[in-house]
Formats: sequence, structure tokens, C-alpha cells
Amino acid sequence: MERQQGRRLTQSISRRDFGRHASAAATLAAAQAFAPFMFVGCRPTRMPSDRQTIKVGLLHSQTGTMAISETSLRDVELFAFEQINASGGLLGRQIEVWSPDPKSRTELYPKRARELLDWGAAALFGCWTSSSRKAVLPVVEEHDRLLFYPVQYEGNESSSHVVYGGMVPNQQIMPVIDWLASPAGGARKKIFLLGSDYVFPRTANFVAKKYMAAKGMRPTGEMYLPLGHRDFGPMIDLIQASGADCVLSTVNGDSNIGLFQSLEAARIDPDKLPVVSTSIAEDELRNLLPEQVNGHLAASCYFQSLPTAANRVWVEEFRHEFGHDRVTGDPMEPQWGLVHLWRQAVERAGSLDTEAVRAAMSEDLEFAGPGGLVRLDPKTQHCTRYFRLGRMRTDRQFDIVFQSDAPIEPDPYPQLAFPGWSCDWTKGGITRGPEVSIDGDI
Amino acid sequence: MHQLFWVYDLPTETFAIMMIALFVGFYWAGLVFLRPILRQFVKNTRGANDIVGYVLSCFCVFYGLLLGLIAVTAYQNASDTSTNVTREAAALSALYEDVSRYPEPYGQNLRWILRDYTRYTIKYAWPLQQRGIVPVDGTIRVQAFQEKLLDFQPTTPAQEILHAEALRQFNAFLEYRRMRLFSVHTAIPPVMWYVVILGAVINIAMVWLFDMRFITHLLLGGLLAAYLGTMIFLIAAMDHPFRGEVSVTPEPFEALYKHMVEE
Repeated sequence: MERQQGRRLTQSISRRDFGRHASAAATLAAAQAFAPFMFVGCRPTRMPSDRQTIKVGLLHSQTGTMAISETSLRDVELFAFEQINASGGLLGRQIEVWSPDPKSRTELYPKRARELLDWGAAALFGCWTSSSRKAVLPVVEEHDRLLFYPVQYEGNESSSHVVYGGMVPNQQIMPVIDWLASPAGGARKKIFLLGSDYVFPRTANFVAKKYMAAKGMRPTGEMYLPLGHRDFGPMIDLIQASGADCVLSTVNGDSNIGLFQSLEAARIDPDKLPVVSTSIAEDELRNLLPEQVNGHLAASCYFQSLPTAANRVWVEEFRHEFGHDRVTGDPMEPQWGLVHLWRQAVERAGSLDTEAVRAAMSEDLEFAGPGGLVRLDPKTQHCTRYFRLGRMRTDRQFDIVFQSDAPIEPDPYPQLAFPGWSCDWTKGGITRGPEVSIDGDI
Repeated sequence: MHQLFWVYDLPTETFAIMMIALFVGFYWAGLVFLRPILRQFVKNTRGANDIVGYVLSCFCVFYGLLLGLIAVTAYQNASDTSTNVTREAAALSALYEDVSRYPEPYGQNLRWILRDYTRYTIKYAWPLQQRGIVPVDGTIRVQAFQEKLLDFQPTTPAQEILHAEALRQFNAFLEYRRMRLFSVHTAIPPVMWYVVILGAVINIAMVWLFDMRFITHLLLGGLLAAYLGTMIFLIAAMDHPFRGEVSVTPEPFEALYKHMVEE
């Protein structure tokens, strides 16, 4: 009886209400199944995919002899890109950076550059030594991408695929010689040229000799040692024997440690025989003891001790992010400026396309950086720079003893060294003069 | 399985609701479309509900055990990874203190590299790990540190002891770091997931076989399916220790970095 009732009940529900229940259940099931997919759109938490980011390559040695200098460049670039990302990114996209390690080996720079460009980097920021830059140059030209190079260098080069942020000889080497020869510099005219053995020191000293010759001066000596060389004792003896009253040093990387240790060991008085370094900044000084560097000079476009409000804010922000014992210096400041000049150019172009970015750079681009106003010269793709001379202090900072009145226009081809050569990327590029043999002059 | 990683990008509550909805939706849809077919197998069988109930109980014991064990495994994986991360940060902290006693400029250089490594781990390595990518740039920082550490030549017995301790701590740090990197791909094997999903489908199919009022089916079966979905959500959320909101965080590194930059 119960079984019959149950069957009747089931049958009556099936007949009368099955269609209604089925529709309701199907609607509910569909609503339940699809509702979360609608909710997903309410809180987009997905990680940006490769297509949503702009990739940028940082090319700096983080191990080996150049790590002492280049690691801080990487940090300031990361800091700049992090700030851009925090302010909404570039062209509405976040910037993704990758910083492989060329290990201070010149032959690894083009390899790493190629890896970065194959990865999809829209631009490269990096290099320190001129040999590394020259090694990377064919790679960026082949891939039609831009390299932003922040370090002071020897000039005698201009590529449409490189934006040069550092000083060239007319902004650094030549003003140094002028200052040394002036009464403020002690009217020093017996200059010894000491450098690491690669492109920058040799070419920079070539320009220096031409400039000195034009002023009726001659170097008392000239010497080059391999990158990474530490024992400068015998060279100090030679310098003293030459009768020099000043050393113009283009020594690079951690060789500077050896140089200043040897100077201290030889008890060289910086007032009598000052060393003017072109490639030493606050970052390198931290590896030296205060008594080793006190009183010597450095030629630069920026020092951390620059007493401006903009600089104080920048230094404080950097130290807040990376630690209160960190320092800023040249070429960190130029690299900071280059990142922002690139950002401006991309925003102006509305595209990452190299041709469009270069076209955007051909109009006046300026950036008020911690070291002052920087203008990108569209003719040479170099930047205007202040010339500053700093005296090293015991706290491994600098007293600024001289500053140019205004930023100096860049001239990668000083006519007294490279007659007939010039470049204007707004009008076709490089005008070639007679070949200049730098090695032959040495 | 890789195609399903997008679920880890969802907020946890959305992921949970989605899993519950998926199971309840599947149950309800099957109730309408599959139950009439499946019921044919037990139709006219005397005591069908009792038989299905016995089989379901038996099945649930095995399935419950399986789910429980897998949930414990997922939790254990996440817990082990969290412990390794904490140990790596602790070793890093001890190493930082050790090298702080080195003479200058060695001490400062070594501290800077460790600070840089910590910052990199928080800001760059962690987001990569959350995407299932093993971060490689940390290795460069470790090499830079090792290069500088080995550059130091102790000149006093005290420095020798300090240097030996720093090297020991560095090795411990390397070990924990390597374990963290291995954990990026730690997960329940796909074959276990297949068994879990198959078990859930069988479980739900068995409930379809009960002879109940339609509305009772919707409610009771729906509740069972919802809890199944919750269990499987729990396992999925804990699986892949670095993915999703329920994951190992860089908190130990953040606390360490705060200490490093503020000292």
C-alpha cells in the first residue's frame, strides 16, 4: 500500500511539475556555475602577462672587477623603474626588468645584450667601460634597439642606437686641464697621465694631450695598466721621478683601490701631488680608508654633497629604499636622468618603436635631475652636463671646489683631436674627417 | 593541469565560491539530465535507497581517507616551505650580523650585497615564484657575495673564527635557499588530482541514485556537493605553496629588510 502511494506521489510530481522543476534547477545550476566568472571581473588580481608589461634590460656587471661600480647603477635603475611602475607605469603598462651578469668580461656583454633583446627588451640601460659599450653596439644596431649609456667616456663615437648620458672630454677632461692650469688649481702644468689599459683612458688621454699641446703644455709621462691591476707602487716611483705636479687618472674599477693604497703607502701629499680622477665616485671611495683618499680630487658632473633641495630629496629617497649607508654619485645620477628621458620620449612617441622614440628625442627633451637640468642634444644624442670638481673628504664624500657656470654642450668630436669629424643625427648622422690614429700618437 | 593555474590569481573567496558553485551546479545539472537515466539501473529494486546508502558509506570511507591524506600532504608541503623560508631568512640574518663584524670596507660591502639580496627576494623573486617561475637573478647576488666573502683574508685569530662562522652560516643559507627554489614546483602530482576528481564524480553520481523528492535532492545533494567542493578547494588552495592568496609570504624577509635598512 505504502509502495503504491509512493509510486503515485512520484508519478504525480513527475507529470505535473517535472518541467517546472527541471527549468528551475537548470536555471539555478547555470546561475551558480557562471556567477563566479562574473565576480572575477570585480577584482582583477591576475599577474600581468608578458604582453601586458614593457620589458627593459639592464646590462651591468654584478661580479668581477667592475661590480664595485656597476652594481649601484643597477640599483638606481631598478629604483627609477619601480617609481615609474608605482606611478602607473608607462603607456599604461608596468615595466619588467631583467639584469643578467656579464661578470666584468667584455666578451660576455654582447652575449647578455643579445639574450636581453631576444627576451623582448624594448631598450637596454647599461655598460660602464667603453670596451663593453663598443662590444654591445653591433648587437643593438642589429636588433634596432636603443642603448642608454650613463658613464663619462672618451668621445670619438656617435651611434644612432646609443643615447649617451655621461660626460665627453670637452665636458670633463678639458675643463680639468683648464682648472689645473689656473691659479685656483695651483697653476699645475706638469701632468702625468695614468690610466687603465682600454679604450676610454687611451682616447681620453689622446684628447688631453692634444688639448695640453694647444695650451703649450706637455705631459710628464703616460702609463696604462690592465683593468683589475692593484700594485701601483712602481708607477708612483715613476710619477715622482718624472717631476709631475699632478696626476690625471683614468684608472677604472677596483684598480682605484690599489692606486690610492699605493699613494698612501708612498706617503704622497695630495697638496703637492694631487690625483685628479675621472672615474671615481662616492661608491668607489667606500672601499678605501679615509686617510687614503683625503685631499685628492675627482672630476664629475655630480656629487652626493651637491647642496640643492632636489638632490637632498633624491638622496634621501634612495637611501630610504636601499639603506642609510648607501651613497649616490656619478654616473648614478646621469643614469637616473636617462631613464626619465627615455620615459618622456616613449610617452611623447606613444610607442616603444625605436624609430618613433628616436623621433621623439629629436625634439628638445629636458629633465630636471638631482644634478641640475639635463638636456638631450638631438644632434649628438649626448646630454648637456655641468662640470664639477670635488675634493675627497675623510667621510668619503666630496667638497665641491669648482662648478661650471652652466651645463656644457656635448662635443663627442673635439676638433683639435678629431679634425673634420662631427655628427648631427637630425641631418643624416656622422660627417667623417681624416682617420685619426690614437695608438700612433702614444 | 598548467592550464588551470589561473585559479590562483583569483581572490580566495572567489576561488572558493567558484569551486562550490561548480560542484553544486554539476550536481543539480546531473540531477535534471542524468538522474532519470541512472535511476533506470536501480528502478524496481527493492530497498534501492538502502543499497545505495551502504555502497555510498563504504565509498565515502575510502574517499574521505584519500581526501584527508591529500589535504594533510598539501598542508605539510606548505608548512615545510614556510619553515624553509623562515630558516633562510634566519640564516641570512645571522650571516648579516656576522659580516657586520668584519673590518671595513669588507663588512660594508658584504652587508650591502645581503641587503640587496633580501630586497631582490621580496620585490622580484617572490612575484616570480607566485607565477611558478624559479627566480634566477638571486644567484648572481649570491655569487657576488661569495666573491667578496672569499676575498677577505683574516689576519687575527678572532677574525679567523668569525670568518669560519660566516662561511658555515653562508652554507646553511645556501641550503635553505636551494630548498625554497625547489619548493616553487612543489605540488600534488596530477595523477592524485585525477583520482580525487573521479572520486568526487562517483560520489555525486551515487547520490543521484537515491529515490527522494526532487526538492530534497536539490537541498541535501547540493549540501553534499558544496562540501565536496569546499574540501577540494582547500586542497587546491594549499597546493603550490607560493601560488594564490593562501600561500607562503615573504614576511620573514620583509621583517629582516626593515631591520637592515633602519639600523
